Amino acid sequence: MDCSQIRDTFVTGAPLSEEHVKEHLASCPQCRELFERNAELGRQLATQASDALPIAVDFFGQIEQKLARETGPRAWLRSRPSRLRFMLVLLPLLLVLTAGGALRQRADFNQYPVPRVVLLLCVYFLAIVLAFGKELFELPRRAAFRDHFGLLAFALAVPVLAAFAPATEASRHADPGGALGCFRYGALLTLPIAALLWAFDRDDRPSVRTVCLSAAALGLSANLLLELHCGNGNAEHVLLGHASLGAAWLAAWLIMRRLSRS
Amino acid sequence: MAAYIAGDKAAFRELFQRYAPLIQRAMARDLRSPEEANDLVQQTFLHLHRSRLDFEPGRKLKPWIFTIALNLKREHFRRSKRRRETSIEDDRVAEPYEGPRGQERSDASREAARALLMLPAEHREVIELHWFGGLSFPEVAEAVGSTVAAVKVRAHRGYVALRARLGDRALDSESIHEGKSRLEGSK
Repeated sequence: MDCSQIRDTFVTGAPLSEEHVKEHLASCPQCRELFERNAELGRQLATQASDALPIAVDFFGQIEQKLARETGPRAWLRSRPSRLRFMLVLLPLLLVLTAGGALRQRADFNQYPVPRVVLLLCVYFLAIVLAFGKELFELPRRAAFRDHFGLLAFALAVPVLAAFAPATEASRHADPGGALGCFRYGALLTLPIAALLWAFDRDDRPSVRTVCLSAAALGLSANLLLELHCGNGNAEHVLLGHASLGAAWLAAWLIMRRLSRS
Repeated sequence: MAAYIAGDKAAFRELFQRYAPLIQRAMARDLRSPEEANDLVQQTFLHLHRSRLDFEPGRKLKPWIFTIALNLKREHFRRSKRRRETSIEDDRVAEPYEGPRGQERSDASREAARALLMLPAEHREVIELHWFGGLSFPEVAEAVGSTVAAVKVRAHRGYVALRARLGDRALDSESIHEGKSRLEGSK
Protein backbone atom coordinates (compact mmCIF):
# COMPACT_ATOMS: atom_id res chain seq x y z
CA MET A 1 0.00 0.00 0.00
CA ASP A 2 1.19 3.53 -0.70
CA CYS A 3 0.10 7.13 -0.02
CA SER A 4 -1.77 7.33 -3.35
CA GLN A 5 -4.08 4.51 -2.33
CA ILE A 6 -4.83 6.26 0.94
CA ARG A 7 -5.66 9.44 -1.02
CA ASP A 8 -7.85 7.49 -3.45
CA THR A 9 -9.73 5.96 -0.55
CA PHE A 10 -10.58 9.42 0.74
CA VAL A 11 -11.52 10.76 -2.70
CA THR A 12 -13.41 7.82 -4.19
CA GLY A 13 -14.29 5.87 -1.09
CA ALA A 14 -12.51 2.79 -2.41
CA PRO A 15 -12.48 0.16 0.31
CA LEU A 16 -9.20 -0.73 1.98
CA SER A 17 -8.48 -3.37 4.55
CA GLU A 18 -8.08 -1.85 7.98
CA GLU A 19 -5.03 -3.98 8.62
CA HIS A 20 -3.23 -2.62 5.52
CA VAL A 21 -4.11 0.96 6.43
CA LYS A 22 -2.75 0.50 9.94
CA GLU A 23 0.41 -1.05 8.57
CA HIS A 24 0.92 1.89 6.21
CA LEU A 25 0.18 4.52 8.86
CA ALA A 26 2.73 2.96 11.17
CA SER A 27 5.48 3.88 8.73
CA CYS A 28 4.03 7.02 7.08
CA PRO A 29 3.92 10.21 9.20
CA GLN A 30 2.31 12.30 6.44
CA CYS A 31 -0.66 9.96 6.00
CA ARG A 32 -1.08 9.81 9.77
CA GLU A 33 -1.76 13.54 9.70
CA LEU A 34 -4.69 12.91 7.35
CA PHE A 35 -6.33 10.59 9.87
CA GLU A 36 -5.88 12.79 12.93
CA ARG A 37 -8.97 14.34 14.56
CA ASN A 38 -11.40 11.89 13.03
CA ALA A 39 -9.66 12.18 9.61
CA GLU A 40 -10.77 15.80 9.27
CA LEU A 41 -7.90 16.84 7.02
CA GLY A 42 -8.23 13.83 4.72
CA ARG A 43 -11.94 14.46 4.32
CA GLN A 44 -11.50 18.17 3.67
CA LEU A 45 -8.87 17.60 1.00
CA ALA A 46 -10.97 14.86 -0.58
CA THR A 47 -13.96 17.20 -0.84
CA GLN A 48 -11.89 19.64 -2.82
CA ALA A 49 -10.17 17.00 -4.92
CA SER A 50 -13.49 15.65 -6.12
CA ASP A 51 -14.67 19.02 -7.43
CA ALA A 52 -15.05 18.97 -11.20
CA LEU A 53 -14.39 22.30 -12.86
CA PRO A 54 -16.26 23.52 -15.92
CA ILE A 55 -14.45 22.95 -19.20
CA ALA A 56 -15.73 25.12 -22.05
CA VAL A 57 -17.61 23.20 -24.72
CA ASP A 58 -15.22 24.17 -27.49
CA PHE A 59 -12.09 24.05 -25.37
CA PHE A 60 -10.42 21.30 -27.37
CA GLY A 61 -11.48 23.00 -30.62
CA GLN A 62 -9.67 26.17 -29.54
CA ILE A 63 -6.47 24.21 -28.91
CA GLU A 64 -6.83 22.47 -32.28
CA GLN A 65 -7.14 25.88 -33.93
CA LYS A 66 -3.94 27.07 -32.26
CA LEU A 67 -2.15 23.88 -33.26
CA ALA A 68 -3.29 24.36 -36.85
CA ARG A 69 -1.39 27.66 -36.87
CA GLU A 70 1.82 25.88 -35.85
CA THR A 71 3.24 25.77 -39.34
CA GLY A 72 6.23 27.31 -41.07
CA PRO A 73 9.96 27.35 -40.38
CA ARG A 74 9.72 28.78 -36.84
CA ALA A 75 7.18 26.17 -35.76
CA TRP A 76 9.46 23.48 -37.17
CA LEU A 77 12.58 24.87 -35.49
CA ARG A 78 11.04 25.38 -32.05
CA SER A 79 9.64 21.84 -32.01
CA ARG A 80 13.04 20.21 -32.57
CA PRO A 81 14.43 18.28 -29.60
CA SER A 82 16.28 20.48 -27.10
CA ARG A 83 19.61 18.73 -27.68
CA LEU A 84 19.37 19.46 -31.39
CA ARG A 85 18.35 23.09 -30.80
CA PHE A 86 21.34 23.43 -28.48
CA MET A 87 23.70 22.04 -31.12
CA LEU A 88 22.08 24.17 -33.82
CA VAL A 89 22.93 27.28 -31.79
CA LEU A 90 26.42 26.23 -30.77
CA LEU A 91 27.48 25.14 -34.26
CA PRO A 92 26.97 28.53 -35.96
CA LEU A 93 28.53 30.17 -32.91
CA LEU A 94 31.64 28.05 -33.32
CA LEU A 95 31.68 28.90 -37.03
CA VAL A 96 31.37 32.60 -36.26
CA LEU A 97 34.08 32.38 -33.61
CA THR A 98 36.37 30.51 -35.98
CA ALA A 99 35.73 32.78 -38.95
CA GLY A 100 35.41 36.09 -37.15
CA GLY A 101 37.82 35.49 -34.33
CA ALA A 102 40.40 32.82 -34.87
CA LEU A 103 41.00 33.39 -38.58
CA ARG A 104 41.29 37.12 -38.13
CA GLN A 105 43.28 36.69 -34.98
CA ARG A 106 44.90 39.65 -33.30
CA ALA A 107 48.59 40.04 -33.92
CA ASP A 108 49.59 40.47 -30.28
CA PHE A 109 48.15 37.18 -29.02
CA ASN A 110 51.53 35.54 -28.76
CA GLN A 111 52.68 38.23 -26.33
CA TYR A 112 50.22 37.08 -23.69
CA PRO A 113 50.95 34.31 -21.22
CA VAL A 114 49.31 31.16 -22.57
CA PRO A 115 47.53 30.20 -19.27
CA ARG A 116 45.86 33.63 -19.14
CA VAL A 117 44.54 33.33 -22.70
CA VAL A 118 43.37 29.74 -22.23
CA LEU A 119 41.71 30.54 -18.89
CA LEU A 120 39.91 33.58 -20.26
CA LEU A 121 38.67 31.74 -23.36
CA CYS A 122 37.53 28.75 -21.27
CA VAL A 123 35.64 30.95 -18.81
CA TYR A 124 33.89 32.74 -21.65
CA PHE A 125 33.04 29.54 -23.48
CA LEU A 126 31.73 27.73 -20.39
CA ALA A 127 29.53 30.67 -19.49
CA ILE A 128 28.19 30.78 -23.05
CA VAL A 129 27.42 27.04 -23.06
CA LEU A 130 25.74 27.39 -19.66
CA ALA A 131 23.58 30.30 -20.81
CA PHE A 132 22.52 28.59 -24.04
CA GLY A 133 21.92 25.29 -22.24
CA LYS A 134 19.77 26.89 -19.55
CA GLU A 135 17.72 28.71 -22.11
CA LEU A 136 17.16 25.86 -24.54
CA PHE A 137 16.56 22.97 -22.13
CA GLU A 138 13.08 23.58 -20.85
CA LEU A 139 12.83 20.79 -18.31
CA PRO A 140 13.11 20.18 -15.43
CA ARG A 141 11.89 23.06 -13.35
CA ARG A 142 12.54 26.47 -14.77
CA ALA A 143 14.32 28.68 -12.35
CA ALA A 144 13.13 32.15 -11.48
CA PHE A 145 14.64 35.29 -12.92
CA ARG A 146 16.70 35.89 -9.78
CA ASP A 147 18.40 32.50 -10.28
CA HIS A 148 19.63 33.61 -13.68
CA PHE A 149 20.57 37.06 -12.52
CA GLY A 150 24.00 35.78 -11.47
CA LEU A 151 24.72 34.57 -14.98
CA LEU A 152 23.59 37.87 -16.49
CA ALA A 153 25.65 39.83 -13.96
CA PHE A 154 28.62 37.62 -14.79
CA ALA A 155 28.11 38.21 -18.52
CA LEU A 156 27.99 41.96 -18.00
CA ALA A 157 30.82 42.11 -15.47
CA VAL A 158 33.45 39.83 -17.05
CA PRO A 159 34.02 42.02 -20.12
CA VAL A 160 34.26 45.03 -17.80
CA LEU A 161 36.84 43.21 -15.67
CA ALA A 162 38.67 42.14 -18.83
CA ALA A 163 38.96 45.82 -19.73
CA PHE A 164 41.09 46.32 -16.63
CA ALA A 165 42.90 42.96 -16.72
CA PRO A 166 46.66 43.12 -17.27
CA ALA A 167 47.37 43.55 -20.96
CA THR A 168 50.59 44.24 -22.83
CA GLU A 169 51.86 47.74 -22.39
CA ALA A 170 51.47 48.44 -26.08
CA SER A 171 47.80 47.46 -26.20
CA ARG A 172 47.04 49.21 -22.90
CA HIS A 173 48.23 52.53 -24.32
CA ALA A 174 46.60 52.02 -27.71
CA ASP A 175 44.35 54.65 -29.26
CA PRO A 176 40.81 54.25 -27.85
CA GLY A 177 39.35 54.93 -31.30
CA GLY A 178 37.61 52.23 -33.33
CA ALA A 179 35.22 51.30 -30.50
CA LEU A 180 32.20 51.76 -32.76
CA GLY A 181 33.77 49.48 -35.36
CA CYS A 182 34.27 46.75 -32.75
CA PHE A 183 30.71 47.21 -31.48
CA ARG A 184 29.32 46.85 -35.02
CA TYR A 185 31.53 43.83 -35.73
CA GLY A 186 30.44 42.04 -32.53
CA ALA A 187 26.77 42.90 -32.97
CA LEU A 188 26.68 41.88 -36.63
CA LEU A 189 28.35 38.53 -36.13
CA THR A 190 26.14 37.57 -33.19
CA LEU A 191 22.96 38.70 -34.96
CA PRO A 192 22.38 35.29 -36.63
CA ILE A 193 22.72 33.60 -33.25
CA ALA A 194 20.14 36.02 -31.81
CA ALA A 195 17.78 35.19 -34.68
CA LEU A 196 18.20 31.48 -33.96
CA LEU A 197 17.51 31.99 -30.26
CA TRP A 198 14.33 33.88 -31.10
CA ALA A 199 13.24 31.16 -33.54
CA PHE A 200 13.92 28.39 -31.01
CA ASP A 201 12.03 30.03 -28.14
CA ARG A 202 8.93 27.96 -27.38
CA ASP A 203 7.18 30.80 -25.55
CA ASP A 204 5.11 33.10 -27.72
CA ARG A 205 6.27 36.07 -25.67
CA PRO A 206 9.89 36.09 -24.46
CA SER A 207 9.97 35.58 -20.71
CA VAL A 208 12.30 37.49 -18.38
CA ARG A 209 14.28 34.28 -18.18
CA THR A 210 14.69 34.24 -21.97
CA VAL A 211 15.64 37.91 -21.99
CA CYS A 212 18.24 37.34 -19.28
CA LEU A 213 19.81 34.22 -20.70
CA SER A 214 19.77 35.40 -24.31
CA ALA A 215 21.42 38.70 -23.41
CA ALA A 216 24.03 36.86 -21.30
CA ALA A 217 24.81 34.33 -24.03
CA LEU A 218 24.95 36.90 -26.83
CA GLY A 219 26.95 39.42 -24.82
CA LEU A 220 29.51 36.79 -23.86
CA SER A 221 29.68 35.44 -27.42
CA ALA A 222 30.30 38.90 -28.82
CA ASN A 223 32.99 39.58 -26.23
CA LEU A 224 34.71 36.26 -26.81
CA LEU A 225 34.70 37.02 -30.52
CA LEU A 226 36.22 40.45 -29.96
CA GLU A 227 38.69 39.05 -27.45
CA LEU A 228 40.00 36.85 -30.25
CA HIS A 229 39.85 39.55 -32.87
CA CYS A 230 40.75 42.91 -31.37
CA GLY A 231 44.14 43.66 -29.86
CA ASN A 232 43.21 47.06 -28.48
CA GLY A 233 43.48 46.77 -24.69
CA ASN A 234 42.69 50.38 -23.96
CA ALA A 235 40.13 50.35 -21.16
CA GLU A 236 37.95 53.03 -22.74
CA HIS A 237 37.90 51.17 -26.06
CA VAL A 238 37.06 47.82 -24.44
CA LEU A 239 34.28 49.30 -22.30
CA LEU A 240 32.64 51.19 -25.16
CA GLY A 241 33.23 48.76 -28.01
CA HIS A 242 33.19 45.34 -26.31
CA ALA A 243 31.64 45.32 -22.84
CA SER A 244 28.67 47.45 -23.93
CA LEU A 245 27.50 44.64 -26.24
CA GLY A 246 26.01 42.67 -23.32
CA ALA A 247 23.97 45.67 -22.24
CA ALA A 248 23.00 46.35 -25.87
CA TRP A 249 21.69 42.80 -26.34
CA LEU A 250 19.82 43.08 -23.04
CA ALA A 251 18.17 46.29 -24.25
CA ALA A 252 17.35 44.69 -27.62
CA TRP A 253 15.63 41.69 -25.98
CA LEU A 254 13.69 43.92 -23.61
CA ILE A 255 12.44 45.97 -26.57
CA MET A 256 11.44 42.78 -28.40
CA ARG A 257 9.60 41.63 -25.32
CA ARG A 258 7.76 44.92 -25.04
CA LEU A 259 6.85 44.82 -28.75
CA SER A 260 5.56 41.25 -28.56
CA ARG A 261 3.38 42.22 -25.59
CA SER A 262 1.77 45.08 -27.43
CA MET B 1 2.32 9.81 -26.31
CA ALA B 2 4.35 7.53 -28.57
CA ALA B 3 1.40 7.42 -30.98
CA TYR B 4 1.16 11.21 -30.93
CA ILE B 5 4.88 11.63 -31.60
CA ALA B 6 4.47 9.22 -34.50
CA GLY B 7 1.84 11.59 -35.95
CA ASP B 8 -1.45 10.14 -34.72
CA LYS B 9 -3.65 13.22 -34.22
CA ALA B 10 -6.37 11.27 -32.43
CA ALA B 11 -3.83 10.45 -29.73
CA PHE B 12 -3.63 14.15 -28.89
CA ARG B 13 -7.36 14.26 -28.17
CA GLU B 14 -6.96 11.27 -25.88
CA LEU B 15 -4.07 12.94 -24.06
CA PHE B 16 -6.19 16.04 -23.68
CA GLN B 17 -9.18 14.16 -22.32
CA ARG B 18 -7.02 12.27 -19.87
CA TYR B 19 -4.89 15.12 -18.51
CA ALA B 20 -6.69 18.43 -19.11
CA PRO B 21 -9.16 18.05 -16.19
CA LEU B 22 -6.32 17.13 -13.79
CA ILE B 23 -4.14 20.03 -14.90
CA GLN B 24 -7.05 22.43 -14.79
CA ARG B 25 -7.98 21.38 -11.26
CA ALA B 26 -4.38 21.78 -10.11
CA MET B 27 -4.09 25.17 -11.86
CA ALA B 28 -7.43 26.63 -10.86
CA ARG B 29 -6.74 26.63 -7.16
CA ASP B 30 -4.17 29.42 -7.39
CA LEU B 31 -5.81 31.53 -10.03
CA ARG B 32 -8.50 34.12 -9.82
CA SER B 33 -10.79 32.73 -12.48
CA PRO B 34 -11.46 29.56 -14.47
CA GLU B 35 -10.62 31.55 -17.62
CA GLU B 36 -7.04 32.04 -16.42
CA ALA B 37 -6.81 28.34 -15.59
CA ASN B 38 -8.22 27.39 -19.00
CA ASP B 39 -5.72 29.66 -20.72
CA LEU B 40 -2.84 27.99 -18.89
CA VAL B 41 -4.20 24.53 -19.73
CA GLN B 42 -4.28 25.55 -23.41
CA GLN B 43 -0.72 26.81 -23.19
CA THR B 44 0.35 23.59 -21.51
CA PHE B 45 -0.93 21.53 -24.42
CA LEU B 46 0.59 23.94 -26.92
CA HIS B 47 3.94 23.51 -25.17
CA LEU B 48 3.40 19.77 -25.06
CA HIS B 49 3.05 19.88 -28.84
CA ARG B 50 6.19 22.01 -29.24
CA SER B 51 8.22 19.87 -26.84
CA ARG B 52 6.89 16.48 -27.94
CA LEU B 53 10.21 15.42 -29.47
CA ASP B 54 11.91 16.02 -26.11
CA PHE B 55 9.81 13.31 -24.52
CA GLU B 56 11.93 10.25 -23.88
CA PRO B 57 10.19 6.92 -24.52
CA GLY B 58 9.81 4.90 -21.35
CA ARG B 59 9.50 7.98 -19.20
CA LYS B 60 6.29 8.69 -17.31
CA LEU B 61 4.12 11.17 -19.15
CA LYS B 62 2.09 12.54 -16.24
CA PRO B 63 4.98 14.17 -14.31
CA TRP B 64 6.39 15.47 -17.59
CA ILE B 65 3.16 17.26 -18.51
CA PHE B 66 2.83 18.61 -14.99
CA THR B 67 6.39 20.00 -15.13
CA ILE B 68 5.39 21.94 -18.25
CA ALA B 69 2.20 23.12 -16.54
CA LEU B 70 4.04 24.19 -13.39
CA ASN B 71 6.63 26.10 -15.38
CA LEU B 72 3.86 27.95 -17.19
CA LYS B 73 2.04 28.70 -13.95
CA ARG B 74 5.20 30.12 -12.37
CA GLU B 75 5.80 32.19 -15.48
CA HIS B 76 2.21 33.43 -15.29
CA PHE B 77 2.71 34.59 -11.71
CA ARG B 78 6.01 36.24 -12.57
CA ARG B 79 4.36 38.05 -15.45
CA SER B 80 1.36 39.22 -13.50
CA LYS B 81 3.66 40.15 -10.60
CA ARG B 82 1.16 38.88 -8.12
CA ARG B 83 3.74 36.83 -6.34
CA ARG B 84 1.09 34.96 -4.43
CA GLU B 85 3.32 31.92 -4.41
CA THR B 86 5.62 33.46 -1.87
CA SER B 87 2.96 34.71 0.50
CA ILE B 88 2.41 32.86 3.74
CA GLU B 89 0.24 34.99 5.92
CA ASP B 90 -0.91 37.41 3.29
CA ASP B 91 -4.24 39.08 3.95
CA ARG B 92 -4.45 40.06 0.32
CA VAL B 93 -4.74 36.42 -0.76
CA ALA B 94 -7.66 36.13 -3.13
CA GLU B 95 -10.56 33.83 -2.43
CA PRO B 96 -9.84 30.43 -3.95
CA TYR B 97 -11.85 29.46 -6.98
CA GLU B 98 -14.52 27.19 -5.64
CA GLY B 99 -15.89 25.37 -8.62
CA PRO B 100 -19.51 24.73 -9.47
CA ARG B 101 -20.29 23.47 -6.01
CA GLY B 102 -19.02 26.67 -4.44
CA GLN B 103 -22.46 27.79 -3.30
CA GLU B 104 -23.16 24.50 -1.60
CA ARG B 105 -19.89 24.36 0.19
CA SER B 106 -19.77 24.38 3.91
CA ASP B 107 -17.86 27.03 5.80
CA ALA B 108 -15.45 24.31 6.90
CA SER B 109 -14.61 23.39 3.34
CA ARG B 110 -14.20 27.03 2.36
CA GLU B 111 -11.90 27.53 5.32
CA ALA B 112 -9.85 24.48 4.33
CA ALA B 113 -9.44 25.86 0.80
CA ARG B 114 -8.29 29.16 2.22
CA ALA B 115 -5.91 27.49 4.65
CA LEU B 116 -4.40 25.57 1.76
CA LEU B 117 -3.91 28.75 -0.20
CA MET B 118 -2.04 30.31 2.69
CA LEU B 119 0.55 27.55 2.90
CA PRO B 120 4.09 28.31 1.71
CA ALA B 121 4.29 27.68 -2.04
CA GLU B 122 6.62 24.70 -1.81
CA HIS B 123 4.33 22.87 0.62
CA ARG B 124 1.14 23.76 -1.21
CA GLU B 125 2.53 22.76 -4.58
CA VAL B 126 3.26 19.23 -3.40
CA ILE B 127 -0.13 18.78 -1.72
CA GLU B 128 -2.00 20.16 -4.75
CA LEU B 129 -0.16 17.93 -7.20
CA HIS B 130 -0.78 14.88 -5.04
CA TRP B 131 -4.44 15.53 -4.25
CA PHE B 132 -5.77 17.54 -7.18
CA GLY B 133 -3.37 16.47 -9.93
CA GLY B 134 -3.61 12.84 -8.89
CA LEU B 135 0.16 12.31 -8.88
CA SER B 136 1.88 9.83 -6.60
CA PHE B 137 4.74 11.19 -4.47
CA PRO B 138 7.43 9.76 -6.80
CA GLU B 139 5.61 11.48 -9.71
CA VAL B 140 5.36 14.73 -7.75
CA ALA B 141 9.11 14.51 -7.08
CA GLU B 142 9.76 14.11 -10.80
CA ALA B 143 7.44 16.98 -11.70
CA VAL B 144 9.00 19.46 -9.26
CA GLY B 145 12.58 18.26 -9.82
CA SER B 146 13.16 17.00 -6.28
CA THR B 147 13.58 13.75 -4.37
CA VAL B 148 10.74 11.60 -3.07
CA ALA B 149 11.98 12.03 0.50
CA ALA B 150 12.07 15.82 0.18
CA VAL B 151 8.61 15.89 -1.36
CA LYS B 152 7.20 13.76 1.47
CA VAL B 153 8.76 16.07 4.04
CA ARG B 154 7.15 19.05 2.31
CA ALA B 155 3.77 17.30 2.25
CA HIS B 156 4.08 16.40 5.91
CA ARG B 157 4.91 19.97 6.92
CA GLY B 158 2.02 21.20 4.80
CA TYR B 159 -0.40 18.76 6.42
CA VAL B 160 0.77 19.73 9.91
CA ALA B 161 0.29 23.42 9.11
CA LEU B 162 -3.13 22.75 7.58
CA ARG B 163 -4.22 20.75 10.58
CA ALA B 164 -3.03 23.48 12.88
CA ARG B 165 -5.10 26.03 10.98
CA LEU B 166 -8.15 23.82 10.81
CA GLY B 167 -7.69 22.94 14.48
CA ASP B 168 -7.57 26.62 15.40
CA ARG B 169 -10.77 27.17 13.49
CA ALA B 170 -12.41 24.21 15.21
CA LEU B 171 -11.26 25.50 18.59
CA ASP B 172 -12.56 28.96 17.77
CA SER B 173 -16.04 27.70 16.95
CA GLU B 174 -16.01 25.41 20.00
CA SER B 175 -15.08 28.27 22.33
CA ILE B 176 -17.76 30.51 20.78
CA HIS B 177 -20.30 27.77 21.28
CA GLU B 178 -19.07 27.21 24.84
CA GLY B 179 -19.23 30.93 25.54
CA LYS B 180 -22.78 31.12 24.26
CA SER B 181 -23.83 28.18 26.45
CA ARG B 182 -22.29 29.83 29.50
CA LEU B 183 -24.05 33.08 28.74
CA GLU B 184 -27.39 31.29 28.33
CA GLY B 185 -26.75 29.37 31.56
CA SER B 186 -26.07 32.53 33.54
CA LYS B 187 -29.34 34.13 32.44
